[in-house]
Order: sequence, then structure tokens, then C-alpha cells
Amino acid sequence: MPDSLYDPEAEEQLGRAFDRRLAARLMEAARPHRGLITGSLLLFPLVAVVELAQPWLLKVAIDEHILRSDWVGLTWVAGLYIAVLAVLYALRTVEAYLMQLTGQRVIHDLRETIFDHLLRLEARFFDHNPVGRLMTRVLHDVEAVSEAFTSGLFAVVADLVTLTGVVIVMLWIDWRLALVTFSLMPILLVVATYFRLNARDAYREVRRRLARLNGFLQESLQGMTVVQLFVRERDERERFRGLNTEYRRALFRSTRWEASLYAVVEALGSVALALLIWYGSGRIIAESLTFGALVAFIQYTNRFFLPIRDLGAKYTVMQWAMASSERIFGLLDRAPAIVSPAAPRPRPARTGAPAVELDSVWFAYDGDDWVLRDCSFSVAPGERVAIVGATGEGKTTCARLLNRSYDVRQGRVLVDGVDVREWDLAGLRRHVGIIFQDSVLFAGTIEENLRLGADGAVSPADLARAIETSRAGFVTELPRGLGELLGERGANVSHGQRQLLAIARALVYNPAVLVLDEAMSSVDPESEALIRQAMTGLLAGRTSITIAHRLSTVHAADRILVLHRGRVHEDGTHAELLRHGGLYARLYELQTGAASA
Amino acid sequence: MGTYASLTIPWTVKRAIDGLQADAASAPVGYFVALIALSAVVNGLARLGSRFAITGGCQRIESEIRTDLFAALQSFPPRFYATHSTGDLMARSTSDITAVRSLLGFGTISLVSTTFAFVGVLAAMLAVDPWLTLWSLAPSPILIVLARRFNLRVNERTEAAQNQLSVLTERVQEYVAGMAVVRAYTLEPRARADFGRANGEYLRLSLALARTEAGFSPLMGLIAGIGTLIVLWAGGRAVVDGRLTLGALVAFNGYLAYLTWPTLALGWTLSTVRRGLTSMARILEIVEESNTSGRAGIPEPARALLRPPSVQSGLTDPATTNPATTNPATTTTPGIRFSHLTFAYADRQPALRDVSFEVAPGETVAVVGATGSGKSTLGLLLARLWEPPPGTVFLGGRDVRELSLDTLRAGIGYVPQEGFLFSRSIADNITLGREGVGRDELHTAAVAAGVADEVEQFAAGFDAVVGERGLTLSGGQRQRVTLARALAGEAPVLVLDDAFASVDAAKEEEILANLRRALSGRTVLLMTHRLRAACTAGRIVVLEAGRVIESGRHEELLGRAGVYARLWRIQQLEEEIARA
Ligand SMILES: Nc1ncnc2c1ncn2[C@@H]1O[C@H](COP(=O)(O)OP(=O)(O)OP(=O)(O)O)[C@@H](O)[C@H]1O
Ligand SMILES: Nc1ncnc2c1ncn2[C@@H]1O[C@H](COP(=O)(O)OP(=O)(O)OP(=O)(O)O)[C@@H](O)[C@H]1O
Ligand SMILES: [Mg+2]
Ligand SMILES: [Mg+2]
Repeated sequence: MPDSLYDPEAEEQLGRAFDRRLAARLMEAARPHRGLITGSLLLFPLVAVVELAQPWLLKVAIDEHILRSDWVGLTWVAGLYIAVLAVLYALRTVEAYLMQLTGQRVIHDLRETIFDHLLRLEARFFDHNPVGRLMTRVLHDVEAVSEAFTSGLFAVVADLVTLTGVVIVMLWIDWRLALVTFSLMPILLVVATYFRLNARDAYREVRRRLARLNGFLQESLQGMTVVQLFVRERDERERFRGLNTEYRRALFRSTRWEASLYAVVEALGSVALALLIWYGSGRIIAESLTFGALVAFIQYTNRFFLPIRDLGAKYTVMQWAMASSERIFGLLDRAPAIVSPAAPRPRPARTGAPAVELDSVWFAYDGDDWVLRDCSFSVAPGERVAIVGATGEGKTTCARLLNRSYDVRQGRVLVDGVDVREWDLAGLRRHVGIIFQDSVLFAGTIEENLRLGADGAVSPADLARAIETSRAGFVTELPRGLGELLGERGANVSHGQRQLLAIARALVYNPAVLVLDEAMSSVDPESEALIRQAMTGLLAGRTSITIAHRLSTVHAADRILVLHRGRVHEDGTHAELLRHGGLYARLYELQTGAASA
Repeated sequence: MGTYASLTIPWTVKRAIDGLQADAASAPVGYFVALIALSAVVNGLARLGSRFAITGGCQRIESEIRTDLFAALQSFPPRFYATHSTGDLMARSTSDITAVRSLLGFGTISLVSTTFAFVGVLAAMLAVDPWLTLWSLAPSPILIVLARRFNLRVNERTEAAQNQLSVLTERVQEYVAGMAVVRAYTLEPRARADFGRANGEYLRLSLALARTEAGFSPLMGLIAGIGTLIVLWAGGRAVVDGRLTLGALVAFNGYLAYLTWPTLALGWTLSTVRRGLTSMARILEIVEESNTSGRAGIPEPARALLRPPSVQSGLTDPATTNPATTNPATTTTPGIRFSHLTFAYADRQPALRDVSFEVAPGETVAVVGATGSGKSTLGLLLARLWEPPPGTVFLGGRDVRELSLDTLRAGIGYVPQEGFLFSRSIADNITLGREGVGRDELHTAAVAAGVADEVEQFAAGFDAVVGERGLTLSGGQRQRVTLARALAGEAPVLVLDDAFASVDAAKEEEILANLRRALSGRTVLLMTHRLRAACTAGRIVVLEAGRVIESGRHEELLGRAGVYARLWRIQQLEEEIARA
């Protein structure tokens, strides 16, 4: 997979806490919510002012009332204090809600965008990206990004506002005393930088480990039966434990940096206090400083160090957020390789062109492991064609090319005489319906599953007819009939029954060209014969392509194509091919002759 | 300890200020300053230590919870997975575990430090002035009452949001995993709408939670502020009246300030704790279920029962026996017996009714029958993926319920009808890391399953990594890899459930020929729709709607002119028509 486009390793190697390009894109993502964000941002200065008023009131109370024994004035100040508190409470409530509102809205919209994008990506992408990882994008990374707003943007702005306020007030009260506090700034800066450099790698590692762990878990859940059947529980548990331990170690390493920063800043805060008292006492003795000012100063110093102390926690959040958003944007930037053309060619009305045609198609999934080499065939409108061939020859691949799950490397695939790349994608897929080898049903009622793709109303009569035709009569015997809930992937009906439902679903979908890729491989031959009979009536005049291994399924087709070495090797009716005495004849002998042997 | 070191700081400040006020010139300022600096260092170190200890411990616990949860998940039978979707379980093992970690880490640290802070500060405050302390504590009862009422509301909302997150996870999981169908049936609009609905609902529930919480957290700040206010007012009066020194008032304020942060954080802490507890409950729900319905809940026989004196079956306990000696080829092969087996899946009609038949040791029995007639169910019950009623399913003469699961399953090579491959290398998928399955066994099995040639043509050969669920292999290749997996274990009993459905006639013939060699001496239960594969079996059992309606050799059944004969004739007829 040289051009595997969306490299899982590359996607993991990130970890700057701030990246201008990313920040710009995040802002872009937040655009629809700018009203909310501006609102919250406007609240911060207000909150900061009201908060900073508290120590100030304290200073006033001490210097002008308590030290002067002014009882009445003190009561006034207390009243003012109450007012400040009430305002602060109201502001904080609004602020907290606004922040959550913004965060959750961003999450909501981003999730929708990512999911939408996933729906537009082509099959190739999903070949290389496990479901677990994509789920992490939609569910967890998105939350981290919203934190970029709540804990990142908002908190940083709030802190900056508070810090600026504190600095101004401190300088204003007594600039010399303020400088004493600020003298510790260089040390803080050094510490923070040292921390930042070390933490970056630690966080990156945490992310990588977590992705692995979750990917493993998701797959284990789905393959649990296999693990149990082969008694591999202990082995799998050991693997899991290994991944888990690696994750824990990485997590601990990252915590170490955070905790250290916290402790160092706190200690520095106390040192600042000591310096204040040492210097301040000298000034008080010299009577150039009031007691109230010193007390207020001590409180301001606390508030100065608080945001810095929490820097570690915020830094973590920003790192997660940046790493996550980089991965999200990486995913969103992965443009879908298969999209509708800007101007889809309108379908020609009855040109007499073949319903389906492969014209010298070359195709490989990876590199030059060619699956189809110069493969050509065509199917006339209304014709019923069968494709046979050894396993792994590329039959399913042909079907996938027809609905443009993949694009050909060379040559053309034509439907109704128009290159599939010129079709409107949804229109093409409405036109060519495929029943795939493994029939995936969705959790939900049987009826929902049958109506799945049908646009417009499907009458109960239509449903009944589809069920009748596909011989899925077992549905009526279920306790809740059509309303029976199916498990994940249809786990609670038998394998063959799942295939019957998939056939019924395709009949309800009612495409012009129906492709059955081993659609009845797990259905008993008797039912299969009956289904085929019933379908002949229903699909009369409809183009159909049947891929099958059972020749009993195949022999009644109008024409049989034998796929061999990436191209159509034989082409003719059953009788012609038998007479020809080639591959098909040999397969036929094997299947029918085994009985006598 | 960190807390106490930090508590000495306001005390020292008090003494410094009092000293300064009393006699500015002679106050031992240097001494106070040194004391503060010392406390700061001790405090920092203690905090660092406790953080490391607590966080490290929490992460360890988190890690253990995760492993336990995984172990519990491993112990569940399919019945459990029928009612719990992968998405839901993923949500529990990711978001919920994260919430629990926050509870343990941040939650505990802040609860513990808050408690210590409160106790310490209280003691210190009492020492400074008991009367003022009482005043400042006046708002506390209000706080408690409010917290209580609030807790209830938020609990409900947290749980609702958390459950909705599971639903959302489910949607993503299902649509992303079923993307091929989404694409083929142009389901994008539907998927979008479905996801949008779940997403919108989650937004609604999260905001409901946010509204409740937004009112609460600042309340803590308000109450802390009222404390300060009271101290300022009542304490100020005391200073005015000369009952209190200014230093004491300042110290008091310092102490209260210490409480401000924990009190402020308390709102946040409580919500973390709540989320964590809700999540913990959701995790425990799973872990505890494993005690009642999981493997642990399946009554395991006493260890002694596992190895009766006469080891007439080839089933040996892999846990206790050297793998080299478990090679079943050297021991006697067990037979299978179903005796009056009636079984129904939850709230369905019985899938099997009074089924009785036997597969003698070394014999091959084919089970045929229409779709949904109960063939796969037989195999599932044999391997105890679903629990059969007592006394109905026997392996090597012993009720499967009396065998330990490990012993039972190690004795069976199973090819499930829906082959599952892990996104690992093909070699890993076949060996599954089993001891005694080395490169040679791997190769032999792959050859027997008729997949070796194709795999060797891949650039990476057996080390080629397949996509999720084996996505990058063709249907037939996938099926044969799962066949190779079952053959590789050299289990004495094989269950092949529709194992040739996706291979062509030539390949099937080749595999059957290989198997006839590889399977000689093994007991084989073969479910199939292809009568040509069935007719060579020693005996054929025909199921119809869960009942055995015929059984016997191919020729016998043809002579009986029953269902089997009819099916055979249909097939013959088709061949005739085709030949004409
Ligand atoms: N998504 C994929 N990525 C890479 N290789 C693939 C992918 N799907 C199929 N292949 C490979 O392409 C070849 C053709 O596969 P395809 O599924 O078309 O075969 P098939 O004829 O349908 O076989 P079968 O009868 O077994 O279903 C196989 O060798 C297979 O391993
Ligand atoms: N997990 C389940 N929960 C509920 N009912 C189930 C479950 N699995 C199977 N059934 C039902 O039990 C019956 C027997 O199913 P089983 O899978 O044994 O059939 P089968 O003979 O193997 O069919 P097929 O030929 O389609 O594989 C069917 O009616 C099916 O709907
Ligand atoms: Mg195929
Ligand atoms: Mg079955």
C-alpha cells in the first residue's frame, strides 16, 4: 500500500500545543458559533473586574475603616461586597452555560461534518482504516477539540484578562512591590519552557497508545466467538494487557510533567509571598506602605499564580486538542476520490447501448497486483448473464466496479452506454443494485431493513411480494413478524435467512440492473430453485448479473462468462460452453460427476 | 502533609503582621520569611509526592479495571452479544473508563485535599479565633442542603447523557462497519438522518446537564465569598472593638482564601465524581453480569471431574498438559451424541425439537436441511456457545456441560458459518498464537484447506495483513483461511458449518480430497447445502424445522423416497436439464 493516503503512523506523530494553521482552521470550524463565542469572551473582562474588586474592597475595609475604627463605613463596604458577590454569581452561571453551549455545539457540528465526510469516502479508504480508528475520530477526538474552546481558548483568554488586570492593579497600588512579585517571572518562564518540551513527546505517545488499545478492543469484540472457540482468551488477554500497560506507562510519564509544573509554580508562589513580606515589612517600617495594601497584595499575588499553576492542566488539554484536531482535519482533508462529476451526463433515452459494459478494464487494488487485465464483456438490456470463475478470480471485483466502489485503472466501465465516471453517483447506484457476498443487515426491525434503500413509499403489498419472492416466509413465523428486531449484522437469524432478507431488500430497492454476488450461497438448493423461478417473473425484462459457484444456479442464464486470469475466458450459453469443452465444461464435470465417483 | 505545610504560611504571615504592627523595628522579619520559604518547599515536595502516588495508583487501577472488563467481555457467550451492541460496549470501555479515571485521579485528589484543607483550615481557624470561625461557617449548612438536591437532578441527567453517547457510538459503529451496503443502496441520506437524530439528542441531553451544572458550580464561589464577607464584617468589628488583632483577621482571610479554591473546585469535583460513579456503575453492570451469565456463571465441574481415571476421550486439559502430548491423533477420538435435544433461542419457537443422533468416533456425519432448519444451532450447542439443556449433548460420552469450556473447545476444530478474520497477518489468523501450531502446521493446514497457493502469490505471502474482517481477501479466500485455522489445531473433532459455500466446484473437490486424508480418524460434523458434498459422508441427517426427519446412508435415504430423495432428484433433474 504505497500510496495508502491516510497513513495511520503519520497521523499519530503530532503534538504541538499550538499551531497557527490549525488554530485558523479551528476558528473556521467555530465560525457558525461566533455569536456565542464573542458573547462568552465579552463576559470574561466583566468577570475579571468583578473578581478583582474583592481584594480591593478588603484593602479599603482595612485601611479606611477597620484601622480607623469606622464601624458604619465597614458595613457599607460589606454591603458592596454582597453586591459584588451576587453579580459574580450571575456572571459565572451565564459564563459556565455559554461555555458548555459553545463546546457542545461545536462537538455536535463537527461530528456531523466528520460522519458526513466518511459517508462520501470511497471503499479503498475503508480497506485501510479500521472501524475502531474512525470511531475514535467521530467520538473522542471531537470532544478534545471542543476542549480547545472551553479549556483552551476561553480559559486562556480568561487567564490573560485576569493576569492583565492583576498586573495593572498591582502596579497601580505599589509598583515597587509589584516588581518584587514579577521578579520571579523569568524563573517561571524557564520552568514552563522546559516542561513544554518534555511534555510534548509524552502526550504524543499517549495518543498513539490509546488508538492502538481501542482498535484492538473493537476488533476483539467483533471476533469474540473465534477467540472463544479456539480457547485463545488467555492469549488475547495478554496482548490486551500488554497494550494496556504501555498506555498506562505513557500516561504516567505525561502526568509526571504536569504534576511537576504544578508543584514548582505553587512553591514559587509561596516564595513570592515570602519576598513580599520581607520587602513589604521594610516599607511598612519606613511607613511608605499601608497594611491594607500589603494584605491586598498578598491576595493579588495568589491570583497571579493561580492561572500559571494550572497552566500544566491547560497545556495538556491544548495538546490533546491540537493533536485531535490535526487528525480530524487530516481526515476531512482526505478528499473523496470517487465523487459525482460536476456535470453528470444525462442518461440517453434508449440508445440501444448495452446495459452494462466493461471495455478493456485493467484493475488492481494495490500496486500492480492486477486482478483484472484487459477484461471486456457486455450485457444487453434485459439479458440474464452469469459470471463464474475460480475463487479469487475477480468476480466480486467486477461487481464493485459496476457501482463505482472503486475506479478502474485503465479502460472504461459503461452503464447504459455512459461511462460510470460520468454518471451521477447516487443515480448510478440507484440504477445498479448489488447483493453482496456477505449480506450485512442492520440492527433494527426487519421491516426497516427491507425498506432501507427504497425512496418513496413502499406499500405493504410490495413488501409482501418481495418476501414471497425471496422465500423469506420465516419472517411471518417470528414472534413479532416484520417488527422483529434484528441484532447487529442480523446475528439472530440463520445465515441463509440473512441472505434471503438481503434478496428481499434488493427486490424492494428495485434497481434496473441487479447484480447477485453469491447471493444464495447459503440457501438450500430447493429454495434457491424456487426463488429463481419467482424472480424470473418479477425481473422479466430486467438486466441481471449472477455471480455463483454452484453451477445449478448458473446454467439457466442467457449467457455465461467464465473469468480466468483477469479476463473473460469463455462466453456463451451453457450448452455452447459444454460443447466447447473448456474450463466451464471441466467445472461442470467436477460438480456433477462427483456423485458417480 | 502538604496541606499542613501550606497552612503554616498564613499563620506565619499573621505573626509577621502582628509583629510589625506591634513593634515595627524589632520584628524578626527574616525569621518569618525563612519560615515561609521553608514551608513552601516542604509543601511543594509533599504535593509532588502525593500526586505521583495518587495518579500512579489511579492509572494502575484504571488499567486493571480495563483488563477486568476485557476479561469479563471474553467470558460472555453470544447470548450476551445479542443484547449488547459493539458500539455500546466500546462506549463503556472507552468513555466510561475515562470518566472513572477522572473520578479516581482528579476526583480523589481533590476530594482528599479538600477534606484535609477543610479539617486543617478549621483547626487553624479555631486556634486563631473560635468565635469568628463559627461565624464564617454559617453558610455551610446551606451548602450541604443545596448540594444534596442538586446531586439527584444531575445524576439522572448524567446517566441519560451517558446512555445516549452509547447510542451514538452504536450508530457510528454500525454504519461505518456496513459501509459497503450503505454505498450500494445509496443509504447516505438515511445514515445521515439517523446519525443526526442521535447526535441531536445527545446535544440536547448534554445541554440539559450543562444547565443544571452551570447553576451549581458558581454557587460554591458565592458561598465562599459570603464566608469572606462575614469575616470581613464581623471580624472587622472585632478588630474595631479591639477583640481581635489585625494580623489574626488577615490570617483568617488567608485561611478562607485557602478554602475558596477547594470550594470552587468542589462543584467541578462533584460533577466529576458523579460522572465517574455513573460510568463505574455502567462498567460494573458488565463485569457483574459475567458472574451471573458469563463463563464464570456456567457451572464448571469440579477440577477432578475433568480427568476421570479412564481417559477414553482425547480431550485433555490444555492448561495442565504439555501441548506436545495433547496431539489428539495419538489418543482416542471422541464421538458426539445428541439425545432428545430441544432448544429454543430466547422468545423464539424451538430451533431444535427432540433431536437425537450420534456421530461415532472417527465418523463423518453430514447434516442437511433447508435454511433455518437448525443446522448451525447444533454446532453452537456442541461448542457451548449457547448452553444446551442438561443431558442432551455429549462429547466423548460426557455431557458437554460437565466439561470445562477450555477442554471442550480445545477438542473441537470449528469453522463457523460466518468466517471472521482479524486484521492481522494471514499466518496469525491461522495459528491464532496457539502453542504447537508452528510454521509447518500452518503450512500443512493451509495446503489442506486449498488456500496455500493463492496466499503464496501475495507479495507478503502468509505475512500479508488482511483488512478488517478479512476485507482485502475474496470471499472464498476468507472462508478457506478459517478452514485452515480449524484444521491447524489438530483437534479430534471437526465442525464444518457450510464451509464450502463460497468456493468453486474445482476447489471444493480439491479440498474434499485433501480433507478425506486429513480427516481420517477425526470425528466430523458437516453442515452443508451441497448434497454432493454430503453424499460421501458416512451418514446423512436431514433436518426439517428443527426435527430429524430422516437419517442414514446416501443409498438408504434414496431408497426411502423421502425428503432427501426429493432434494437429490431436484438436483439430478437440473443436471439433466442442463445436459440436454
Ligand atoms: N479490498 C481489497 N483490497 C486488496 N485486495 C483485494 C480486495 N478485495 C479483493 N482483493 C483481492 O483481489 C482478488 C480478487 O478478489 P475478488 O473478491 O474479486 O474474487 P472473487 O472472484 O469474488 O472470489 P470469490 O469467489 O472467492 O468470492 C483476490 O486475490 C483478493 O485477495
Ligand atoms: N442468535 C439467534 N437468536 C434467535 N434465533 C436464532 C438465532 N440464531 C438462529 N436463530 C433461529 O433459529 C433457527 C435455526 O437457525 P440455524 O442458524 O441453526 O439454521 P441453519 O439450519 O444453520 O440455517 P442456514 O442453512 O441458513 O445456515 C432459525 O429459525 C433462526 O432464525
Ligand atoms: Mg467474491
Ligand atoms: Mg447455518
